Amino acid sequence: MENKQSSSPASFIDSTVVPGDVVLDLSSMTNQTIKLGGGLRQDCDAISAMKAGTLRFLKPNKYWIESSQKRYVPCVEDTVLGIVVDSKADNFLIDIKGPTLAFLPVLAFEGGTRRNIPKFELGTLLYLRVVKANFGMNPELSCTDASGKAAEFGPLKDGYMFETSTGLSRKLLGSPTCPVLEALGKKLSFEIAVGLNGRVWVNAASPDTIVVAANAIMNSESLSTAQQIIMVEHLLKNIQ
Amino acid sequence: MEGRLANAWRLTVNDKNFIKTALLSEIRIDGRKPFEYRKISIKFGREDGSSEVQLGQTRVISIVTAQLVQPYRDRPKEGMLSIFTEFSPMADPSFEPGRPGELAVELGRIIDRGLRESRAVDTESLCILAGKFVWAVRIDIHILDNGGNLVDAANIAALASLLTFRRPECSLGGEDGQEVIVHPPEIREPLPLMVHHLPIAITFGFFNNESILLIDPTHNEEAVMNGRMTTTVNANGDICAIQKGGGEGVPQRVIMQCLQLATSKAASITKQIKDAVEAFNTERALRKIKRHPTSTGVDVREKQNQ
Repeated sequence: MENKQSSSPASFIDSTVVPGDVVLDLSSMTNQTIKLGGGLRQDCDAISAMKAGTLRFLKPNKYWIESSQKRYVPCVEDTVLGIVVDSKADNFLIDIKGPTLAFLPVLAFEGGTRRNIPKFELGTLLYLRVVKANFGMNPELSCTDASGKAAEFGPLKDGYMFETSTGLSRKLLGSPTCPVLEALGKKLSFEIAVGLNGRVWVNAASPDTIVVAANAIMNSESLSTAQQIIMVEHLLKNIQ
Repeated sequence: MEGRLANAWRLTVNDKNFIKTALLSEIRIDGRKPFEYRKISIKFGREDGSSEVQLGQTRVISIVTAQLVQPYRDRPKEGMLSIFTEFSPMADPSFEPGRPGELAVELGRIIDRGLRESRAVDTESLCILAGKFVWAVRIDIHILDNGGNLVDAANIAALASLLTFRRPECSLGGEDGQEVIVHPPEIREPLPLMVHHLPIAITFGFFNNESILLIDPTHNEEAVMNGRMTTTVNANGDICAIQKGGGEGVPQRVIMQCLQLATSKAASITKQIKDAVEAFNTERALRKIKRHPTSTGVDVREKQNQ
């Protein structure tokens, strides 16, 4: 069997790794601070992969593993779309497609005090930020950004929510703009909220715009740029 | 309890309202028209009597087997037909393993009624020795993926597997002609079941608003709709069964409209099933032709035993 423990990290960047692969050997890199993102674990001097996916590197020092699944593993500072399941005295229980339900403290809103706790009915869709996400504990969410302002977080009104894989939601949020969104945006006007947990919400003035946008995004996962543009044109022709 | 809550599938308030609003403009969330079926694909396994049907995202497998048993006392000349359903937990987070739930039993009953009451399968031809030996045909339906409208998909799968099932040929023998000899398939060609017609189940969804009516609901639409009705009709226009399980009340003219729609849909689905079965039979025949060079070895051995 080939011994894949090569010491140069460049050999693994942008290539597929599986759990157990040692992707970085710290003994050869001294006096550097490295930031490890999702899917990587430190074992003394070796950084090994915990998820299967592609190893990515961002200058100067960020490494992480990118993979696309239907399940979501909560990560701090992710923006997600959650559904209210229950409300308790101190927290709302929110479903974010993770292994456990997440807690949203009732005070985690801009200007939130005990007197003006919002009332969400069961099934309300919220745009939230993940504050704490530790293994084995329920994640904690918030409806404010780091400085305490509301900043677009909170309940979403009307529209239609559908589920995708986590890879597709990352592509939709990436820059440059995803080709399917660009092609749709040229002809239709709609509002969209993407959660990194694999949920996307679309709202527009007329129902058929929403349906076309939702179906175009759902179909675009495995298509290349050119194919996505062709698919969108095909869908738009059918409604006009 | 919290673990179970985390796994359940939920519909948001936004989705519920959107599905109903869009239906008022005759738009469904997957782009279909209200009376349009999803794409049906029928595939068969290598063995006779096994079929897999995909209706959009819904996937169902059906297996037909037969056994020689003693008939019921009050029906000594008729064979038996029984349907078993299994809702696999991998199909939907709300399906639990173990005893069939309400939905599973209802699905089994609808399909059973469609086949039995309309006498689609000829049970008298399943009798070998009156009062002693008859064939009991057993249909096992496994739900693999719940994308909505399990009844229609399961019905198509059951029909497709019944049409491709072959039972061994048997003859009477022994000293007093009271023994049944079952011939293995290599000796005598197994026989198909006698199916007179194909009862197709068509499911309708009703909403609070009387003007909204749709066919073949998806999973989301099923969670939002207020009533459902399954009509089992065949291509000749005979109504084999109707099942309306609770929910919103509907006026008589809506029911008549549904029956008319169902008859037209049944014709096209029947044609699809028959085409798929014919393609499978052709392929099966071709496979048997290729088997001939090897079967001479089997023949020689059997001649020695006889």
